[in-house]
Amino acid sequence: MYTVSEKWPVTKGDFSAGNPKSCIAVVTLASSMPLFEKAAIWGSCKTENLGAEKVVMNVVSNCNIRYILLCGSESRGHLAGQTLKALYENGIDEDGRILGSEGAIPFIENLEIETIERFRQQVELIDRTGLTDIEEIYSIVDNYHDSEKPFEASPISFKKAVRKYQPPESIGADILISEKVVMDAFSGFIYEIA
Amino acid sequence: MFRFQKEQKIANIAGVKIGGNPGELPTALAGTIFYEGHDIVEDANEGLFDRKIAEDLLNSQRASSDETGNPCLVHIFGDTEQALRNYIDFVSEITDSPFLIDSPDPLARMAAAEYVSEIGLGDRAVYNSINMTIGEKERKVLKDSDIDSSIVLGFNAMDSGFKGRMQLLESGTSSMDKGLIDIALECGMCNILIDPGITPMGNGSGVSLRITLAAKAKWGLPVGSGIHNAPSSWEWLRDKKKHDPLVFKMCDIASAVMQQAAAGNFVLYGPIENAPYIFPVAAMSDIMIYESAEEFEIEPASSHPFNRLV
Repeated sequence: MYTVSEKWPVTKGDFSAGNPKSCIAVVTLASSMPLFEKAAIWGSCKTENLGAEKVVMNVVSNCNIRYILLCGSESRGHLAGQTLKALYENGIDEDGRILGSEGAIPFIENLEIETIERFRQQVELIDRTGLTDIEEIYSIVDNYHDSEKPFEASPISFKKAVRKYQPPESIGADILISEKVVMDAFSGFIYEIA
Repeated sequence: MFRFQKEQKIANIAGVKIGGNPGELPTALAGTIFYEGHDIVEDANEGLFDRKIAEDLLNSQRASSDETGNPCLVHIFGDTEQALRNYIDFVSEITDSPFLIDSPDPLARMAAAEYVSEIGLGDRAVYNSINMTIGEKERKVLKDSDIDSSIVLGFNAMDSGFKGRMQLLESGTSSMDKGLIDIALECGMCNILIDPGITPMGNGSGVSLRITLAAKAKWGLPVGSGIHNAPSSWEWLRDKKKHDPLVFKMCDIASAVMQQAAAGNFVLYGPIENAPYIFPVAAMSDIMIYESAEEFEIEPASSHPFNRLV
């Protein structure tokens, strides 16, 4: 049974993949630290919306990941660490708002509630926000990297969401380009008038 | 290249005019000082910094602005109320430019709004920003303050596409009683600057350009953004930066041209250190945009780079 999605990590960001079979992912929040390859994935998360979303996507697409270590300096204002903790503890509401987050704009836009619930079931959060001692971080990773079996479910795959274009019911001419060429700002159409 | 059918409003913030049809006014440029990671900041909580370097940076932006004719604003970023107070005191003493007050912490932002009102600088301050998380408390603070200029941020974290952002500006989200533009008006904002919100490359970074056109067509308000945030968060480019920092800098600065070509009126161009580079780039775009719109009987302002540099 596959435990890791194809082309994992499934989304790109300021992080690097280590050993995809490892049980632990390391989120260094606003800090930058050299990868320890015993971790499945390792890198920063600075924002309370898209950043948190990427963490979830790369975790639920790899069933081997059973622990997330939050470490490094908290991302000021955005509070990505506090937000990930709130996401793990409380989930999201129907609007995508991360319950209990104190970050600036804490919303998950592109993932279903079910995906967030899966994330909460799959992993255990080790909250060491503020920890920057690299030796201690390595030691935690060393302790956890092979300590658990994969989560018993299939890895979740993601397809790039494509917004469907809906042609406008009527087209106006609110931007003048030349005497006979106009543009409709809402549809993006540029056209010639008689 | 084009002109809008809708009358284009012009904001006047302490003498700095922002808005209009393409080619009419020079693009206003705001450099950020005391940003996260800014090496002149010694204590981000207390707002302690190297005053000499900060003064040089503000003067450098002013000199670039005087040379090209593109008006400048100072984008002050602070984490705490205390830091913002210190920064505002300093910036307002060194320069007479309008300044944006920005913090990811709404309490710090609100405290800064109250502070500028207390010290009589409300007319020079631009609140950054009225956004989808605004609550009753923040609305009241703004209403009671002397601030009458604000960025209105169109980023809709529940639906970040074109429709979702336009809806946020016009009528709000499901948890709001009205749209952000109406909220800004209710808060006493005479000078509304729309920022569609920049998301990273790969997450809809270009949507803001379409919204720039649509928002100007619909409301006639000044529109602009911190478009450099798209390339500056682009992993591929950040990797290139390790080998050649100039590549990163070129993309970061050049992104402003995209915003200008899409009829943007202002650009929050990021680190104020980039002033010597961004002003010539923006002036170049302004001149070409004016010359593309000449036949629309657009009159460039006397301070326009077209009237100064060619």
